[in-house]
Amino acid sequence: MQQHYGPSIHSSSTQSSVLSPQPSDTIVNVSGFVKRYKKHMAVDGIDLEIRKGEIYGLIGPDGAGKSSLMKAIAGVLTYDEGTVEVFGTLVDSERAAERVKERIGFLPQGLGLNLYPDLSVEENIDFFARLRLVPEQQLTERKTRLLAMTRLDKYRDRAMKNLSGGMKQKLGLICTLIHEPELAILDEPTTGVDPVSRRDFWAILAELLLEKGMTALVSTAYMDEASRFHRLSFLSGGKVLASGTPAEVQMLAPGSMVTFEATPQLDAIARLKIRYKQVEALGPLLHVFTDDTDPAAAMQSITSSLGIIKPMQLRVNEPELEDVFVALLLRQGEQPTAIEMPPAAPVTSNGTLAIEAKDLIRDFGTFRAVDRVSFQVKPGEIFGLLGANGAGKTTVIKMLNGIMPPTGGEGWVAGADMKTAGGAIKERIGYMSQAFSLYLDLTVVENIRLFAGIYGLDANATDQRLKWIVSMAGLKGYESSLTGRLPMGVRQRLALGCALVHQPRVLFLDEPTSGVDPIGRRHFWDILSRLAREEGVAILVTTHYMSEAEHCDHLALMYAGRIVAEGSPVDMKRQVEKEAGQLLEVATDQPGPALRRVTQAGFVGAALFGTKLHLLSLDPSQDEARLRTALSSDGVQVQDVLIRPLSLEDVFVYRVLVVERQEQATVKGAAA
Amino acid sequence: MRVSDRLTVWCRRIAVMTRKELLQLFRDIPLMAFLIYSFTLSVYVTGNGIQTQLKNAGLLVSDADRSVSSRELISRFHSPYFRFDGELAHPNEGFVRLDRGGSMMVLDIPTRFHEALVSGESTAVQLLVDTTNSPQGLSAAGYAARIVGQFSQELIMTRNGQTGSSSTTVPMILSDHRVWFNQDQNETWFESISHLLRMITIFAVLLPAAALVREKERGTVEQLLVSPLTPAQIMLPKVVAMTLVILGATAVALFGVMLPVFGVPIRGSVSLLFLLTALFIVATAGIGVFASTVTKNQAQVGMMTLLVVAPMLLLSGIFTPLETMPAWVRYLMALSPLRYFIEIATGILLKGIGLEMLWSQALSMLALGVSLFGFGMWRFRRQFR
Repeated sequence: MQQHYGPSIHSSSTQSSVLSPQPSDTIVNVSGFVKRYKKHMAVDGIDLEIRKGEIYGLIGPDGAGKSSLMKAIAGVLTYDEGTVEVFGTLVDSERAAERVKERIGFLPQGLGLNLYPDLSVEENIDFFARLRLVPEQQLTERKTRLLAMTRLDKYRDRAMKNLSGGMKQKLGLICTLIHEPELAILDEPTTGVDPVSRRDFWAILAELLLEKGMTALVSTAYMDEASRFHRLSFLSGGKVLASGTPAEVQMLAPGSMVTFEATPQLDAIARLKIRYKQVEALGPLLHVFTDDTDPAAAMQSITSSLGIIKPMQLRVNEPELEDVFVALLLRQGEQPTAIEMPPAAPVTSNGTLAIEAKDLIRDFGTFRAVDRVSFQVKPGEIFGLLGANGAGKTTVIKMLNGIMPPTGGEGWVAGADMKTAGGAIKERIGYMSQAFSLYLDLTVVENIRLFAGIYGLDANATDQRLKWIVSMAGLKGYESSLTGRLPMGVRQRLALGCALVHQPRVLFLDEPTSGVDPIGRRHFWDILSRLAREEGVAILVTTHYMSEAEHCDHLALMYAGRIVAEGSPVDMKRQVEKEAGQLLEVATDQPGPALRRVTQAGFVGAALFGTKLHLLSLDPSQDEARLRTALSSDGVQVQDVLIRPLSLEDVFVYRVLVVERQEQATVKGAAA
Repeated sequence: MRVSDRLTVWCRRIAVMTRKELLQLFRDIPLMAFLIYSFTLSVYVTGNGIQTQLKNAGLLVSDADRSVSSRELISRFHSPYFRFDGELAHPNEGFVRLDRGGSMMVLDIPTRFHEALVSGESTAVQLLVDTTNSPQGLSAAGYAARIVGQFSQELIMTRNGQTGSSSTTVPMILSDHRVWFNQDQNETWFESISHLLRMITIFAVLLPAAALVREKERGTVEQLLVSPLTPAQIMLPKVVAMTLVILGATAVALFGVMLPVFGVPIRGSVSLLFLLTALFIVATAGIGVFASTVTKNQAQVGMMTLLVVAPMLLLSGIFTPLETMPAWVRYLMALSPLRYFIEIATGILLKGIGLEMLWSQALSMLALGVSLFGFGMWRFRRQFR
């Protein structure tokens, strides 16, 4: 039996001094790791053990210390205290690092940052292989195989800079793995990558792990990827908040997730917040995390705290790992900053639409970036525009904002025609981009005053809005700090405040929450839903971060410039369940062989998800029986089969794959 | 909205944006340090350090005669123009020493030098000059020729009149010159003025270009584009802010270094000088705006600035007069605002002339400024289409 840390909560830098003889299959052993940048404590005492053949996850927001830790393990960063052992070698000097580097593949953070933009896909791979002295014949074999797996073989001769974000990241993975390292260290490989490429990415990684006996250390800022890891550490502020297998971590904050509809929603939230720390509005639904593990008790306590408001469609689920992380963070004493939203201006919606797009078209040369896109957004509605990089989301927003003329079609924003009244539109909308577009060398107040001046507010109005923004965004105490020194979550709320300085009726948010910690993100969405519900502001959000999309009232999924699916999150999930079936999660003792067997047995689209198998099934009971017989005939023991709720990511991937298949069919049809 | 309201809003926008630019610039510590250095210490060092006149040229002597006359000739190569680096044991050593550097000239005096002079024969000395640095080398050769000529003339006169005061017996033309505008022929004046002009030019291109490209790099320009600001309202405040800063720095250089330390006179009107300097900065900023539209980040802007500013500085007439250049360069330099500004700045500072004589330069600069700025603005609008 292996040495086992089990679930544990590290409250501070207490070193668990487990320096007993190590099991032979320990690949990485980190203990008491401390890294400082000048006075700033980046990592404050971390212990970690990675075993052969597993995918070990580091999860945490920007600045949690993930990259520092990974770089030290890869031997490219010195550290201040503690020990780092890789393959049994103590990495404490450059010479020691050189000894282990050959057996490591390291993918640094940032889309394609380790690649050469002007070299083609193939030239990049060849370069990395030759750097690692891979024999030519092996190189050819591995290259063919990896290119096929990543579906990049069609693009061999394309320069890396002309690839999409997802493709770049897949190429980065190939270049990192071409010398078949025993340990792959991948720093935020899925950040900024669309869901389909992300799923590809995980599938490739899982397959290589099984086949080559590789080990991987992967970091991510996406909480919903936590369940893909065999074991994980949740980092926050340079410390480990929790570690273990996903199931073990889940046990650290036992409870359940109650989902229901309740009107009026704002009153319901106000009542629930007295008792519960985690209350979230997802479109019309409310999500509440309770400590009760028993479903009946959980429902009972929710119903009683709602008082006269009757919850509808009450459901109880197991909490997601993200809910657990938030619970742990809250337990750490991090309190969500209270929002005091001063009384709203009376809603003057007269039933007109806030945004209307009608057959919008935009061509760049012969390339059609946006193809007959139509949608409507009502005042007070949160509308989500989903899609991969290059699907055309940003182009749609630019046209609606009046900074890019459309090739065809019409659009109205806040009552103004985007073709003729670009200036009027700009005065009536708020816009927040993914970079948060703040001046980092100005203070909080200077930024607010700048935008107030740009929108032509006079001194009085500026002072009023300044107060409103500071209290709305919880910026008290930060007024004269330089924006560049603010934590990401605070910076994001400041950017939102600046976008709202002139009280716009329509708000555009372009990928707004990248790199923000879970509590910050929830706080941000709280503000957005109150803006929509109380002040009737129409909000259009673009995102390829699917757990964000859950917050929207209405969604439109874009693919190659077109809208391919539309509806509320619940409707979209229901529709996919109707077409493709429910999500089955199968837990087995040997995930690798199980996947092979299940695929042979004719289950299309089965994939590894951490140690478990995921597949869609139209007839769960019959399929479960088929699965069990197929697997047990191979000696694989089925531990559990569960029906899981579909996530929006499942919906996205399903929809995009359907469209891709249709397109291939038409191309083939045309060729024949 | 009433016209007056629109005007208020317009002014408010320009004001807040200008304030923002100034704040950002003042918080950019490396850039501020570079700016302060360029307009203070660097002006002082350049004014003091750059000398085009001959000074301290190393002289080696191979004296095969070792006579009264040879010693007399050698003694006439004196400081501050020449520096005696010693005698050579062998004439061939001269080539080696010149190759090695350090000394600039070898004076080779033959045997029988004195004997020939006394007996009234002609003789010759040889001078080897290293003209790697050609202006200095040529000027050293010229000085040497004059010294030898003078020596030879005196010998002739002594021989003819025996007394030396017999200019009546030999026909001679004496050339007498009087220098204007800089009677002491004080080189620090011209050098410090041209250095100041160089710095103004560099910063007038660099600052607005860097400010614009920084917005592009950090993505903040997107936010400005979706706001009700027009491209002119985005660009103008940058130019206004940078002009203010450069004018301030110019004042520091002029009144803090050049006036008290070098005694550079301001013979014309100070306000006219600053007004035309502002015009020059705005005109040159047009080039910076253009540079920012064809580059993606600050590193590229730095290189672009170097590429544009270097020929401007070299060919506009600071280092060498325009008249000496080939015709095509002169036509090309008609497009450089600096070409006109040199005449304006030296004219106001040293000659004390005013607009009555500088109007054509001022008008050319204005016309050029409007077109450069207009072109930059056009490019700026276009790049976001």
